[in-house]
Amino acid sequence: MGLLQGATELFPVSSLGHSVIIPSLLHWSFKQSDPSFVPFLVLLHLGTAGALLVLYRTEWVAIIRGFFTAAFRGQIENDNERLAMLLLVGTIPAAILGVFLETRIKSLFASPYEAAGFLIANGILMLAFEVLRRRAERRSTLKEEEFAQAERISFRAAAIVGACQALAFLPGISRSGVTIGGGLLAGLGHQEAARFSFLLATPVILGAGLVEVPQLFSGGVPIGEYLAGMVLAGIAAYASARFLLRYFRSGRLDPYGYYCIGAGLVSLALLRFGL
Amino acid sequence: MKSNTVAAGLAVLGIVFLIVAALYALGVLQLFASTSSGPHYKHAILFGVLAVASFVGANFARPKKATYATDRPTRL
Repeated sequence: MGLLQGATELFPVSSLGHSVIIPSLLHWSFKQSDPSFVPFLVLLHLGTAGALLVLYRTEWVAIIRGFFTAAFRGQIENDNERLAMLLLVGTIPAAILGVFLETRIKSLFASPYEAAGFLIANGILMLAFEVLRRRAERRSTLKEEEFAQAERISFRAAAIVGACQALAFLPGISRSGVTIGGGLLAGLGHQEAARFSFLLATPVILGAGLVEVPQLFSGGVPIGEYLAGMVLAGIAAYASARFLLRYFRSGRLDPYGYYCIGAGLVSLALLRFGL
Repeated sequence: MKSNTVAAGLAVLGIVFLIVAALYALGVLQLFASTSSGPHYKHAILFGVLAVASFVGANFARPKKATYATDRPTRL
């Protein structure tokens, strides 16, 4: 589960969707309603957030410094300060929607059938983002490397990309997929959209994990096994992020779109026929 | 949008958010919470962050001389 969550959290294929579908398909014995499952998920998320912090350690130092400098000065004077404020603006809509809606939405759509359906919808979304992107490329005649840096998008675009993260509360819709897609529509190159998506995900994943930390100290939690899961999630997330950043130098979202549609259809068939 | 009125409004909003955060943390406020009793730390942290954002926004809204070029992006 650690490897699965860490790998799929950053790939645009929905970790939540996979964590609902795969245990059902493989007949794994644990139940997600079990009280000890939440601490397990918390540690997996902390592992993923830790991997992103390690990957972008120098950038995060500059971003945090830039945030405090700009906040106290009341003025943005360089790209790090602007990126810090863009991340703040992008994180707030996701945090508001997450706190008020996440539990309700997840409990409404927790079945593997719905997750498989949303996985297909996620695939269609990825393909739609690429169709719109190719249209924008034709209109503007810009090459991939000539699209904007993350620091140059507007605050409105950052807020919209951040709010897109709320779609990922639907199991099967990928947080990184919709934020990378939103970044593409905002005029970013693929690699920059992935970078902005990973930076945007870090405070949300870390915050959601840290808030639930007290649950780790409740009785009956096999902390050793869970910590092993966290380490594996972190390693998988780090490797995924490195791979994706390299992939998006020239790659696009289409293969992930086709994968999601295929995986969703196969999952629906397997669930339907009880295989 | 630079004006002292906007800055003052955002500062007041920040204070309101701080009060709401404290009420959630103390378990006094139960609005939009999943359980009907006890403190709600997620909500408290959220309103704390909103308060910080409001104070930052207030500081940005104070009229001052601009020095950083803020090019408008081309899309969205």
